[in-house]
Amino acid sequence: MSHQDMNRDDDLGLEQRLRAALRPVDPGAGFAGGVMARIATERPGNVRTFRARAAASWGGFALAASVVVALLLAHQQQMRRTEQGLEARRQLIEALRVTGDKLDLASRMVNAPPPAPNSSDSGA
Amino acid sequence: MNSPISKCIVTLAALAALGARLAVAAPAAPLKLPEFEALAAKASESVNVSLDASLLGLAASFLDPGDPEEAGAKQLIAGLKGIYVRSYTFDKAVPYPAAEVEALRRQLAAPGWQSLVKVRKEKDHTNADIYISVDQGKANGLAIIVSEPREFTVVNIVGAIDLEKLRRLEGRFGVPKVPLPDGDSSGAAPAPAPARP
Repeated sequence: MSHQDMNRDDDLGLEQRLRAALRPVDPGAGFAGGVMARIATERPGNVRTFRARAAASWGGFALAASVVVALLLAHQQQMRRTEQGLEARRQLIEALRVTGDKLDLASRMVNAPPPAPNSSDSGA
Repeated sequence: MNSPISKCIVTLAALAALGARLAVAAPAAPLKLPEFEALAAKASESVNVSLDASLLGLAASFLDPGDPEEAGAKQLIAGLKGIYVRSYTFDKAVPYPAAEVEALRRQLAAPGWQSLVKVRKEKDHTNADIYISVDQGKANGLAIIVSEPREFTVVNIVGAIDLEKLRRLEGRFGVPKVPLPDGDSSGAAPAPAPARP
């Protein structure tokens, strides 16, 4: 037997072993039902758990973000209110100062003594 | 204490006391102040204050109650609905804003407003007019128009001036107690001298 013949016999043997190993096997009548039952029982649960975890995670993030934004807005509003209040106070004091000055001026004008008569007109 | 705020309180008390004697129905609306654009353009310094009731309340909440002057100011503005000031200072003499002042005087000619002080100092080129608005014995408005060679000021105070609060300020916070010229011992401050033509 030549070397080539020996190789050919080996190839045929390997092929036969492979065919034997990979031959179609009937899984049985209950296999499909079992798979479907398992899908029905396990898969929704897994998906639900994943979605619930994702939703909880996003919900927590959204809640934290909302709290931070609300705090920032409240702080900003308080700052704006304080600035407005201080500006209003400054304007009020300025208004009272101007009003006081002008009332004082009017009062001095009203209460000013009449001008002294000219000495040359006194006849002295 | 002799600060402008104290002077303002004293003089407002005097004006309010006089106004209380002039029981005439009067409106309590703010005057429509002219824009005074020409004056503002020439002014080296401008004061433009418009405080309505809400801003006055806000300002009051920022006044220091521990400071006597600010505490007095807080009491003074408690009954006010608005303070409006237009004041312009110039580096040189400017023409008198006759048209704007005339528009103001037309508003002050409405029933309820009374001319309280009218002073003309031709030598100093200074004029001062004070009007008061009175409703049921209570002063509810004040208008001041003062023109000087290098300064022009209009003030409009709107709202009830609480005489009792003003009276309680007398003798405190540096506000002097001045006897009334007619012997009235009610504690009210004296009225200003009569208006000059």
